[in-house]
This record gives sequence, structure tokens and C-alpha cells, in this order.
Amino acid sequence: MPGGYLAGDQPASEPTAWGSLALSAAGQLEASRVACDWLVACQARNGSVGVNRSEATPAWPTSLAILAWTQWQNASGTANYQRSIDSAIKWTLKTKGRTTDRKPEIGHDTTLVGWSWAADTHSWLEPTALFVRALNAAGHANHERTEEATRMLVDRLLPTGGANYGNTRVLDQYLLPHVQPSGLVMWALARLPTDDSRIAASLDYLDSAIQQPLGAASLAFAILGLKAHGRQSAHYEQKLETAFAGLSSDASPYKLALLAMATQEGSHS
Amino acid sequence: MSNDHSTKRFSEPFIDRRSALAAGGLAAAGLIVAPYARAALTNPSPVFLASGQRYNGPLVQTIRDGLLAAGVRSESLRGKRVLLKPNLVEPSRAIPHMTTHPAVIVAAAEVFRGWGASVVVGEAPGHVRDTETALIESGVGEALADGGLKFADLNYEEVGWRRNRGRVSPLKGIYFPRSVLEADLVVSMPKMKTHHWVGLTCGMKNMFGVMPGIKYGWPKNVLHHNGIPETVADISATLPRVITIVDGIECMEGDGPILGTMKPMGLIAVGADVAAVDATIARVMGLDPTKVQYLAIARRRLGEIQEEQIEQRGEAWQTLRSPFQILDRPHLQRLRAADGELVT
Repeated sequence: MPGGYLAGDQPASEPTAWGSLALSAAGQLEASRVACDWLVACQARNGSVGVNRSEATPAWPTSLAILAWTQWQNASGTANYQRSIDSAIKWTLKTKGRTTDRKPEIGHDTTLVGWSWAADTHSWLEPTALFVRALNAAGHANHERTEEATRMLVDRLLPTGGANYGNTRVLDQYLLPHVQPSGLVMWALARLPTDDSRIAASLDYLDSAIQQPLGAASLAFAILGLKAHGRQSAHYEQKLETAFAGLSSDASPYKLALLAMATQEGSHS
Repeated sequence: MSNDHSTKRFSEPFIDRRSALAAGGLAAAGLIVAPYARAALTNPSPVFLASGQRYNGPLVQTIRDGLLAAGVRSESLRGKRVLLKPNLVEPSRAIPHMTTHPAVIVAAAEVFRGWGASVVVGEAPGHVRDTETALIESGVGEALADGGLKFADLNYEEVGWRRNRGRVSPLKGIYFPRSVLEADLVVSMPKMKTHHWVGLTCGMKNMFGVMPGIKYGWPKNVLHHNGIPETVADISATLPRVITIVDGIECMEGDGPILGTMKPMGLIAVGADVAAVDATIARVMGLDPTKVQYLAIARRRLGEIQEEQIEQRGEAWQTLRSPFQILDRPHLQRLRAADGELVT
């Protein structure tokens, strides 16, 4: 710790945050703290956390840093990172994805505000899901930004279940679901009250999708999403074990962390 | 990383001088004169077309012939780094005609390796963050493993900033991944497809896929907000050493670039002038390249799109023309050549 997307690569905020989350979930608080400290060192004065130490923008990993710090504090019973958390949340709540008027050729509600990948661009599904999860974890579930972003996530689900990067229908054609964003958005929506039929459909989609060969990240996000909604199966653990076994000795820290997270999800509930 | 890759020069050009001068191949070689100076040049740009191609056919020979016909100097590639950039925008087992076929990638790699170059395949899928799954879905991962080829995940690599040499969009600079900046030659390997926003996607639009998601997102929305045609042109202007090999064997028509239907064409196209290749492909598809916005921009700055300025090698596009269906949308209908097809 910290780690990068690829083995031997420069450390990056997202893999490091996922690593911290997996370690603290496994009770490895000292190792998790090292990762949390690294994220603090990446934090800009405005509270944001860039994609790595040399690239302060874009700053969507701020969401994951909030999650990592919050989980570490909850696990340790301390408030070591509260200043960093407060600063990051202040930046988060000021930061908005760009909206546009509704257009007939675009299926989703382009007026709903979430978070974007890069500054001054449209809100997309994965960064919004990460910020929703982070704000919930940090005690801001009822903030108007969290609530609107949650509506945005549901709005971006495909009618038959699942989601892609965040488009539903373009030029009268519904687009294809992808496993990773579908799993991530299910993980983000897990603790939120919604009875939208697309949730169950999305979980069914994920259950089906993991029967096919997948990369480690997609598999991990799918199982994170499924477990977060209470779906448990020995088959999930078998899939994860196989994925772990498939990682080489110089495995990506990012994939390793995600698989560990998926393994841990639900084990303490 | 080095400060300004655009100033890098090589002892030998990768393409012959006539082709370089003629075809905007200066842009491909990054040599001799700046890309903008080529507007004053009058020699036609060579574009190679071959029909009757199959994924299980002699693609190595066809691609080798195409590169030589396009003016590539094989002897100058010894020891050079070649990056093959296929289109893996959103791979799906159910839609193999969306993405560049593995057989074309492996064949191109074999040609460049045979000429003594080191070859890496790289892509920054635009719609999916999990590149490993993209490689599985497309079949490219397995093919690369079988061929002993390395893959560079351009979405997550270290990046370097370069001044926007096109200055068509408001972007002052463009971030490129390390593998792109370090390559001596980048080979755009698009799938021949319609595109429901800009008409067609071929060699130039395919280069959206070298832009790192870690800076631009998934989708690469920074580019969209700064104008798709404008940023397509800017990327080509800023990356000077690009040639194109088109997988036009099983193509996509209708609602491309993701959900269109398969159209068998059996084509391979090769050229060192990215604009000339795209313009030729547009003509084969029944589109008027002068009406395609990014090609119209390219005409002024990057290469040739006028028919009389493109020298057809291999087969003539007129004999291969087979209009692609396009959506019944005003912004697409206006791109059709006189007898282009229409989906209603």
C-alpha cells in the first residue's frame, strides 16, 4: 500500500482507496491507515483528491477517499481523518455535473444533478454512484444532493435491468448494460429506500452476467452489488476464489483490492 | 516523460518522401515539414484498398502490400516502437462487428514485427472502465496472448500533456498516455462503421480511443463538450505519426458505432494520410466526405479528402462502393452522397 491500477505502476487514488476499504473491512487497520494517510497527502487545499499524486484533476476519487477515511474511523473508533473528510465533503457538495435541457434523442433526465468524471462535464453513473455511497457513509444520506443523485442513478437504469456508463436510450435505441457500472450502482443504492422494479431487474442481470467469463473488476463489482442487496450464494465465493487464483503473482493492486472487497462485503452484517 | 514529443525527429522517414509529401504522410512520419505546410503540396495521397478479404485469409500479405503501397518504408521500422490501436469501444460477444477483429490486429503485428519493429497493442476503451473484460468480450485478449503480444491499457497509464497543435477546439492541450507518446509510429486500426452522431467512424475518430479515461472519463466527455469533430481534428493534428489500417471485412451499418447491423464488405484499407483514408471509406459507404464535419476540418489542415487529390492503389473505390444504411435523422441524411441508403 498504496497501489496502482497495474502491478508496478505509480500509485493511484482509486486503487489505494479500495485497498484501504478492503483492509479495514478485514480488520487490518494499520495497513489501512497507511493507505488513508497516502490519500490525505493527495488531498488538495480545496478538499479534493485527484486521480494520483501528480494529477490533481479530475478529482472523482474524492468520493473513495471519503469512504476510506470514514470506514477507517468507524472501525477504529477514532476521528483521525475528520478534517480531511469535512474538507472533502465541502468540495463534493459544491461540485456538480453539468446539466442540459431535456432532448428527445436522449433517454435519461439530463436535468438531474450528480457528479461527473471531469470538471464541467455531464453527470455520469459511476462517479455519481461513488459519491452517493460516500455521502451516505459520511452521514449525509438526507442531503438534497444525495437525494437528487440517487434519483439520477435510478433514472439511468435500463428498463430491462442493468446500466452502462450512464446513457439509457439514444436516438430511440436502448443501449446495452455493462457489468461493472451495474454492480457499482447496485452497491450505491443498497441502503436506500427504493422499490423501483429496475433494481430487481438489475440484480437479476448481474446474477446472469457473472455466469459468463469476466474480468476481475467487473466480477468484483457485480458481486459487491449483489451482496449489498442481500443476495448470497456459494457460487459467488467460488467465482471470487477462481478470480483470485487467476491473478498472477504480480497482480494489479486494484483488482486485488476489488476482489477482496467483494469477498468482505456482507461478511459482517 | 519528455517535454515535447512533437519535436522528436528520426534519422529515417517511415514512408517514402513522395508519399510523405503527397499524402499528409508528413503527419504520419512527423518529419521534414510541419503538417500545415502540406496544404501547399500538390501530389496525391495514396490509399490502398483490397477486397475479397476474410479473417481467416492471407491478411498478413494484404496488409504488407497495403503498407508498401501506401509508401511505408519497411527498412526504416527496424528497432522502432509501433503501437497498434484497434477499436474496442464497448466490446460485446453478441456484436463482434462493433470492434476490430483480432485476426486483423495480429496480422498487422506480424507485418511490423517482420520488419524488425517492436509491437504493442493499446486501447483506452471509451465506454467501459474494465479493460480486461473488454479484451475478453472482443476476443482480442486471447489472440494477443496466443501471438505473444503485449497490451497497453491506455486508460490508466501515466499521461503527458501536449500543446493542441490543431487549435480547432478550445482545448489548449491534450493528454496522451505514455505508450502513445513513446511510440515511433501509431497505427489506427478502426472498424469500418457508421456513427450516429458524426456519420462514420474510421481512422481519425478511432483515435478518440487513445485518450486516457483517467483524465477524460468514461465516456470521454471532455472531448464531447469541446466538440466531437473539432477534437477529432485536434487529436490528429497533435499526433503526427499515425497511419491507418481499416478492418472493413465485417462492417457496421445503421445505428453505429455500437448497435448497428453487420454489413459484409471484405475490405482492407491502408493509408498514411488519415484524412484520405477516411474520405475514401466514406465514399465506399455512400457518404460525401466533404459533408462530414471532421473531414471538412481535416481538409483544411490535415490531409486530402478531395477525390482528385487521392491516388487509389490496389482497387478503385468506385468498384467497391456499397452504400451503408444510415439512420433517418436530418444530421445524418445530409451526409449522404447522391444515392446513399437510408434506414426509416
